[in-house]
Amino acid sequence: MKRPILILIGGLAVAALAYCGVYYGGTASCCHMETGNAPELAWLKQEFHLGDAEFKRITELHQTYLSGCAERCRRIDQKNEEVARLLAATNNITPEIEKALTESALLRADCQKKMLQHFYDVSRTMPPEQGKRYLAWVQQQTVASDSHSQMHH
Amino acid sequence: MKPEDPIQRDENLRQVLHQWKVDAPLPPRFQEQVWRRIERSETQVQAPAWVRLWQQLSAALARPSLAVSYVTVLLLTGLLAGYWQVHVTRTQADENMGARYVQLVDPLLNPHR
Repeated sequence: MKRPILILIGGLAVAALAYCGVYYGGTASCCHMETGNAPELAWLKQEFHLGDAEFKRITELHQTYLSGCAERCRRIDQKNEEVARLLAATNNITPEIEKALTESALLRADCQKKMLQHFYDVSRTMPPEQGKRYLAWVQQQTVASDSHSQMHH
Repeated sequence: MKPEDPIQRDENLRQVLHQWKVDAPLPPRFQEQVWRRIERSETQVQAPAWVRLWQQLSAALARPSLAVSYVTVLLLTGLLAGYWQVHVTRTQADENMGARYVQLVDPLLNPHR
């Protein structure tokens, strides 16, 4: 009576151990990556098979880009506030509103230009094939994505 | 030696049985015990489905070949389920990380900007 119970439970325990072993073994790198310093960049390194030197260079490019990006975002936010203030004060398109909208669009265009330049710099740092793949993917996700086109409509 | 005719042998047996007299007294409460045994055997036949299933399973697992097959099938099931779950988790993590990278480098994806 005892032996069949042992075999029954043993089989289930073997299955559970096999599942947990494969799962934790297979997802350890993902968990390690997510708890790291810059998981997004660690993902980039893994996804585009970057070497240590390439990764170091891309990290520097990324830091430089983000510091400039923060300043551009601040200016866009400031301009948005100005546009909102002007719009609240009238029910016509005044020359001030026109000017503020043009400046806002120029800021956005500048932001996109810098972003594209960053993508080109990053892609050139990668091995050629990976760089091409990165560029196609990141453009599809950003400037060529639906959310960008909706924003301009 | 000539083998005995089975019909003749049955006849002999019948005669012997007719002459057989049992003098020994029956044990006390013999009839009651007989009925109790019958009742017990009927109860066994009408055992619940899960008991019968367990009995069959126990009998099957007592055979080494079936026991090894059972453990092997469960081991393979565990491994396959683990691989499948790893695949799903990694795909989701990749998509999530890609989206996080894009959010990081593209401030215009923020709907407020």
